[in-house]
Amino acid sequence: MPETNLTSNLHLLLPEFLLATLAFAVFAIDLLLPANRKKLLAWVSVAGLIGLLALALALLWGENEEMYGGLIKVDSYALFFKSFFILLGIFIILSSVDYVGKHLSHPGEYYGLILFSVLAMNVMAASREILTAYVALELMSFSFYIMVSYARYNPRSNEAGIKYVLIGAFSSAILLFGISMLYSTIGVTHFADISATLANAGDASPALWVGLALILVGLGFKVAAVPFHMWAPDVYQGAPLPVTAYLAVGSKAAAFALMLRLFAEAFMPSIDDWQIIVAIIAAITMTVGNLVAIAQHNIKRLLAYSSIGQVGFLLVGIAALSETSPLASNGVMLHIVGYSFTNLAVFVGIIAFFNMTGKEEIADFSGLADRHPFLAAAMAIGMFSLAGLPFFAGFTTKFYLFTAAANEGLLWLAGLAIVNSLISLYYYQVEIRHMYIQPAPDMEGKLEPASAHNPHPPPVGGGAEDASRHSPTPLIIGVLILMVLGTFFVGVYPFPIVEALDAATSAILPGAGS
Amino acid sequence: MSEPLFVIVAILTLGGGLGVVATRNVVHAALFLLLSLVSVAGIYLLVFAEFLALVQVLIYGGAIIIVLIFAIMLTRSQEYPRISDNPQWPLAIVAGLAVFGVLAASFLWNLPPASEPEGPGLAKIGESLFTKWAVPFEVVSLVLLVALVGAIIIAGRAGDRE
Repeated sequence: MPETNLTSNLHLLLPEFLLATLAFAVFAIDLLLPANRKKLLAWVSVAGLIGLLALALALLWGENEEMYGGLIKVDSYALFFKSFFILLGIFIILSSVDYVGKHLSHPGEYYGLILFSVLAMNVMAASREILTAYVALELMSFSFYIMVSYARYNPRSNEAGIKYVLIGAFSSAILLFGISMLYSTIGVTHFADISATLANAGDASPALWVGLALILVGLGFKVAAVPFHMWAPDVYQGAPLPVTAYLAVGSKAAAFALMLRLFAEAFMPSIDDWQIIVAIIAAITMTVGNLVAIAQHNIKRLLAYSSIGQVGFLLVGIAALSETSPLASNGVMLHIVGYSFTNLAVFVGIIAFFNMTGKEEIADFSGLADRHPFLAAAMAIGMFSLAGLPFFAGFTTKFYLFTAAANEGLLWLAGLAIVNSLISLYYYQVEIRHMYIQPAPDMEGKLEPASAHNPHPPPVGGGAEDASRHSPTPLIIGVLILMVLGTFFVGVYPFPIVEALDAATSAILPGAGS
Repeated sequence: MSEPLFVIVAILTLGGGLGVVATRNVVHAALFLLLSLVSVAGIYLLVFAEFLALVQVLIYGGAIIIVLIFAIMLTRSQEYPRISDNPQWPLAIVAGLAVFGVLAASFLWNLPPASEPEGPGLAKIGESLFTKWAVPFEVVSLVLLVALVGAIIIAGRAGDRE
């Protein structure tokens, strides 16, 4: 075996090595710092990530090389997601700082785990071999299992952690079983080899299809697609808020980065066999997610179901993948980017609100627009964008996705997706109505009697007065501004991003030149 | 194959198996089972099936026995040292003999040809693990690290808070 070939381009993995080093450094510095200086760790992590982002862009720009005999590939697709995940890590850490200081112990390990999960996501987007992808997926999942149950003294967090671990182990087992069936029938695990085998799979055994189906089910669990979604609301509700945000954005983006490459590079030749299955899952997922979201009272549960609906939209893009058109692949990636900005805007707003009040029921947000107009406006923008109104990110990204679906002859799916966007507009409006029209619980005296039916009586001792004394920290406000700007940027002028996406798509779908 | 070594290992295997059924203490039974399974790994080693021996120790000696002991500790914390006489022992004898019969029959029916032991040697496995499969190998080590960190955070002693 020519070992020299394996290590000749090892420098391309420098960002990954340095990211692991950074995580270890955070663990180590944590030991040296006194308890009241732990915030420094967040700054170390953020500074390190910014440096890594610059390094990755400078080092890997335009690279298109396989490493370790095709196990992983450093191409523009990997670079796009690497930059995206690093940025995401930065924003999640920034929006966690206040929350962690107030509500969580072990801050050093918290930031270290975020760094490890970013590393795992990078490998997921880069791997072109199914076991490597699986192992990276496990690294990400393990980090999330721990972060979800990070609030040790909160029974809900513990419950969420246990549920997530059990479902995660269960779905990993299904995924592994599918991989082993795939391997036992065709004897290869590299995406390129799988694709070559499927291309002339006229005589393939049924075990191969069972294997593919099991892989689909396993990934369905990981992204919480219906009917494999039942864990998501409980886990989202129980996890600490920044972790919920990270879970809703990061784990989904990474799982879809993996899925997109897997389906585009490995399963593409047999698209006629799985397209309709993925399309049906997408249809069920967005419909169930959006319909059940209407009934939610807790903001985290609402966003859990709304994110299930978003997974449905992303699956529309997977179903509409095509060897000759970059539209669906671009749409999936653009939706991931837009959805992340948007969802983070909403979540960061909720984090800021929770930091001030410690509440997370939808009714608690009543009158927020009077007390914190910017917070309410940012969250409203995020929700409009999630619903897909024009000028916001959600419109542009959904436009790409639905066009792709329509082009591939999945007109019914595109229509259903539009109906679902309308449904989602309703429950976002409910939340926005609470923030803007419903009076705050403690302001009932000042406002017209129409508010008499407000289900939330003013708290004894004036909890809201306490809330008005505090205002969101400048840090949270800064992150929020960035997210809102990002939402508008993707919505109004997405072309620079689309250019990057074209390059990324041509890396995984060489035939789909734009 | 060195005959004396095989005899020793075989006695250990069978002795462990006998211990499992003879002892009245569940924990002892689990430990006897461990002895028996690890001895089987020894037999694999004697025929130079290194990879098989490794997997035998990892899976049976490690994972399965640990799960077994966990199950014992979690379910019968009060009365676990005692096994009451299980009325199903005649059924167990029949099942055991049946499995033995099937295995022995299939072995005698289709006697495997005497052959040189072969298979992926440990050296080869190690080489490919550290060259071709280095990336997933490293990632797995991080998975273990993260799991350890999590165990300390979640199950460790109460921290400086509350």
